[in-house]
Amino acid sequence: MGKRIMIVDDSRVVEMQMKRMLEDTGYEVVSYCQDGETAIAQYGEVLPDLVTMDIIMPGMDGLETARAILEEHPDARIVMVSSLAYDDTIDEAKSIGTKTFIYKPLDKEQLLATLDEVLGGE
Amino acid sequence: MDTVMSEEKLQDVFDQVTREVTEKVAGIRLCEGDASPEEDTCTVHAAFERGFHSSLALCADTAMFTRLTQSMLQEEEVTQQDVEDFTKEYFNVLCGHIASRLFQVTKVASRFEIPAFYNGRYQPEDQKEQFAICYSSDKNEGARLSHFTSDSD
Repeated sequence: MGKRIMIVDDSRVVEMQMKRMLEDTGYEVVSYCQDGETAIAQYGEVLPDLVTMDIIMPGMDGLETARAILEEHPDARIVMVSSLAYDDTIDEAKSIGTKTFIYKPLDKEQLLATLDEVLGGE
Repeated sequence: MDTVMSEEKLQDVFDQVTREVTEKVAGIRLCEGDASPEEDTCTVHAAFERGFHSSLALCADTAMFTRLTQSMLQEEEVTQQDVEDFTKEYFNVLCGHIASRLFQVTKVASRFEIPAFYNGRYQPEDQKEQFAICYSSDKNEGARLSHFTSDSD
């Protein structure tokens, strides 16, 4: 079985794009959540190998959601996904304990390289 | 926009990012146009919050947003809902890149609302168009990127 990925993004477009990019790779999308509250509720049930987390979402944003998941599950591996590239946002994400950033628009090679790097050697 | 950038510089940033992102996301090349889209149009709009108090709208021929969706989805058959969803995601990326580029210059970090999609033209209430950039695509579709500011700005 491939590595299990949870996608958190209010846009179903991102889910469709990521699913397509991860077809026939060693990764499998096992959960898709359109908001932070659902992601927090589902994380403990799904226990994915990695979460991709959008920053701008209705309700709780991605940084708040990542913080809540990591407080409950310190070993969670979360990769932030955003078109925003601010130093302070990146610093905040790192200070929370997220692993890295993927910048939109999504690119298959960049996505796979990032997942390999974060989950490499397991 | 409450930055130290001149309107001319702001237009340059918007123009450059719009061309780059549209080509990268959908393979659609935009060049300078001389007229706004007229008939069968749609608009996608997002307001900036935190840092900047303005909004951006892209009004374009529905045919261009449909082609953009076909390209992003890699499918010929697309629904109206697909066009709406993919256009919003494209504009989300566009606004993010604009905000990031502005941050490099002004060090003002802004966020923007989740984009909204409208059939036809859309102008936000209580805001006026500060400037607009008209485009023509490689298939002769028209588009107009408008920057709106509050009347009080």
